[in-house]
Amino acid sequence: RAEAAQGGAIVVEKIDEYSVTVETPRGPREFQFDKVFSAEASQEDLFHDTSRLIQLAIDGYNVCVFAYGQTGSGKTFTMVGDKEQKNPGIIPRAFNAMFDIMRKNNSKFSFKVSAYMLELYNDRLQDLFASQAGEAHGHTQSHGQARRVEIKRNRKGVVFAQGAETKEASSAQELYALFQQACANRHISATKMNMESSRSHLIVGIMVESRNLTNGSVSSGKLSLVDLAGSERAAKTGAKDHQLKEANSINKSLSALGDVISALSAELPHVPYRNSKLTQVMQDSLGGNAKTLMIVNISPTEYNLDETLTSLM
Amino acid sequence: MAATQQEARSCVRTPERTNMASVNSSEWRAICDKFTNAQNLTEIESRNDKENDPFRSKYKAKELLREIYCSLKNFEAGEGEEEGGGESGDQRPTEQPVDGQREDLFGQGFSGDSPAGLRAARLGAVEYYLGVNHVDTEELSAGQEHLMNCMKLLERCRVSSPNVSLFIQVRNQLGILWAGRDETETAQGFLETAESIYQRYMKEDGSPPTDMTEYFAAEENLLTHQERIKRFELAYTHTMYYLAQVYKNLGQTERAATYCHTTLQRQLQLNQFTPMEWALNAATLSQYYITKGRYMEGRHCLSAATVISDLAGEVPSEAAAQENETESERREHLRQKRAEIARCWIKYCLNLLQDAKKQLEDNIGELDTDRQEELKRARRREEEEEEKGRKSALLFGSEDTFDSIASIEEKVMCLFPLDFTEARSVFLVGQNHVTQAKDYFQMDGYVTDHIEILQDHSALFRSLAFFEEDLERRCKMHKRRVDMLEPICNDLNAQYYLMIRRQLMFELAETYNEMMDLKLALANRQADTQSLDNHTIKKFNHLCSASAKYFQMFLDSLCSPEGKFPERLEEEVLRPALVARFRVARLHSRLISTSPTVQLDNLNKSLENYKYVVQYCEANPEAGAAVETELELSKEMVGLLPLKINRLNARMDSNN
Repeated sequence: RAEAAQGGAIVVEKIDEYSVTVETPRGPREFQFDKVFSAEASQEDLFHDTSRLIQLAIDGYNVCVFAYGQTGSGKTFTMVGDKEQKNPGIIPRAFNAMFDIMRKNNSKFSFKVSAYMLELYNDRLQDLFASQAGEAHGHTQSHGQARRVEIKRNRKGVVFAQGAETKEASSAQELYALFQQACANRHISATKMNMESSRSHLIVGIMVESRNLTNGSVSSGKLSLVDLAGSERAAKTGAKDHQLKEANSINKSLSALGDVISALSAELPHVPYRNSKLTQVMQDSLGGNAKTLMIVNISPTEYNLDETLTSLM
Repeated sequence: MAATQQEARSCVRTPERTNMASVNSSEWRAICDKFTNAQNLTEIESRNDKENDPFRSKYKAKELLREIYCSLKNFEAGEGEEEGGGESGDQRPTEQPVDGQREDLFGQGFSGDSPAGLRAARLGAVEYYLGVNHVDTEELSAGQEHLMNCMKLLERCRVSSPNVSLFIQVRNQLGILWAGRDETETAQGFLETAESIYQRYMKEDGSPPTDMTEYFAAEENLLTHQERIKRFELAYTHTMYYLAQVYKNLGQTERAATYCHTTLQRQLQLNQFTPMEWALNAATLSQYYITKGRYMEGRHCLSAATVISDLAGEVPSEAAAQENETESERREHLRQKRAEIARCWIKYCLNLLQDAKKQLEDNIGELDTDRQEELKRARRREEEEEEKGRKSALLFGSEDTFDSIASIEEKVMCLFPLDFTEARSVFLVGQNHVTQAKDYFQMDGYVTDHIEILQDHSALFRSLAFFEEDLERRCKMHKRRVDMLEPICNDLNAQYYLMIRRQLMFELAETYNEMMDLKLALANRQADTQSLDNHTIKKFNHLCSASAKYFQMFLDSLCSPEGKFPERLEEEVLRPALVARFRVARLHSRLISTSPTVQLDNLNKSLENYKYVVQYCEANPEAGAAVETELELSKEMVGLLPLKINRLNARMDSNN
């Protein structure tokens, strides 16, 4: 599992290729990573390190790239790039690289590329390909009336997003266009629900099926790209280990009791709390054979120190 | 008076005397209205505050509270300090965050319902609400100051029904506050004091205490006794809940578990719970008890979980779910949670059987009948203890549920099963829950969960087999395990489910091995000194090869994509890999064949694998510690086998 952090100069300092130090009120703290990129690093540098993962996805592995960090720390820039695409981020580069590789191998293999794009908000998966047009026209139906999407995995190891549309793409441009459409839909649903998009996670799954033209064998790999919601939300609710979870003042629910009980022993025979949908989605990518890349974006300034520390831990 | 600077400045001191008793009822009304407004803003309006202005309503509430504070101070100023004498405890203590400044909160100070006491309580309540308000709006220091002011005001009072709720709740809040600053011991101090205040109050008084909201309520809006008790008990439930968290943070897990248990218990008694959430918490707590071998408590938690989960209602039918999004979600939710509880039950039964086995087995893993007798005798004593235990243990439930919970408990034992009949009864309960759990966690969709359930089922059979005396029946139980796991193992995608397949392969290998030994034992019993018949040999060889095959499969799974076996074994696979090698060696040496060539081949394979074990442990000395017995035997075999092989070779040569 590789991790790369992109940091800046003020309270965060890159010591060497593998470590970052952060000046905290309690003194400097050091964090180790597989690779550290400083502010001077370019999109290209960052992508270079991740490009080998694209090959793996085509080879039939599950690959996952996570971007994690506070809103405004540069996640979207890292993942997507700027609007005009003068500095494309990992996603457009990945699409291009993927189709490049496939083109180079099209004498030996035939490829099929399909994608699903989901949004995860409040533990609910939303299909970003679903037509928003109908709902935009003054439908009073709540957001929840959209068809439910469930992530399921069968014994063949194939993860399928049940209830979500999968679209095929035959070129990097097509794939990127699908991605843009999904992002646009994300914006629409965000406005409708009065929710900040910084609270939702974006999950893009690109399936590559390759058929060996010589012997007919088929392998499928998947590239998952996840843009995790602004981590500042997480910080407020859970980062401080010793903070007591209060009884919610509205209905006085003791919602954290379950957390306390599950933490009583590290060896509970069974913990009957469903993993959050996010870990479910990522299950096949976080298991034995999968390669995962976690990109942690941190902001260099002191103001964001708390969030920075949370992201790095 | 220890008021914050701002408030002192903004308070206007009116010149005339105003006596509380002669306070204009319209002025009092105004204060009460303000208070109600503040509450409303804090609890209801604030939910609608926008993301970018999240404390809008609370800031408004704060202003109102400040105004109330000022008004109260004005009234007081007018009155003067009439209650100068008596047990006023005038010593103004220095600012210390710790509690317990006064020795006896119950004995000294103004009586709660004296005018001075009431004044103190009212003012204290406003300080309390201001404190909570500041904490909510992330101004911890200011919050702390107000809460400490509240504490100081109460200092001068005796704990009694008009103020005990405030005594406790201010400490709850200070507990939360200090825990948030990582000062867990300080938090502990406040919360433990709150706990003892409650306990003493209930012991010495127990009358329905005034709720804090009533300090500023009109006559007609005062609460019923019932409601007062309810709110007071809720405050104490929170104390328990916070203490559970504190003890967990302090690493005192036993105590934390007890407080979790108490919290759950109180939730039921006071009917302040959401059924499914409560049920899951109880089920999780049962798992904790299981790790401690406390099966009685574990069983109680699970039985309660089952009963309470039923209170969550009927599962909507599939048809209803198709039509309606909410119904579909509800159906999903209920089915899933109930299946999770079933899985907790499976673990209960499995662990009970496994722990019983550990008690009963001799040094070769068979049931020791002497031990069994001994434990049966001891059991009779235990049964008396169990009765006593039940009375002192924390029982869950309310009037309606005590019986239903007990009836579920009666269906499964909580003491170690000591013979086959008892083991079987536990097994059957476990098996029932397997069926239930599998119904929801189906293979396609929940692969890992489904397989874990199957593994548990297999383990249930394995434990039951230990108790079964009849070898034939024992063998059949193992066959059930094979039938269950073999198809899955072969069906799973090798790439994605590597870890699980390895587990299954190893288990299948051991099971086949077990069956092989049993077949041999059975045949030997029957055959006496006669040699085995062909049918038995065939059967034996089949089981032997199957076992070897799966051990080999396991070993092959460690190879690189090019097919190369790793030079160095990773820690997690070290022991299993060496054991697998050892077993393959052993199994090959046991295969029965009339053909010398085949025999030779088997012996060579056997030697090869024994050698591997010895050589690996020589090259990696730490590895030896992981497989001591196997290493010892391997060394012996490496010495003996070549002789056997040579003899065989010689015989073959001489025959040609």
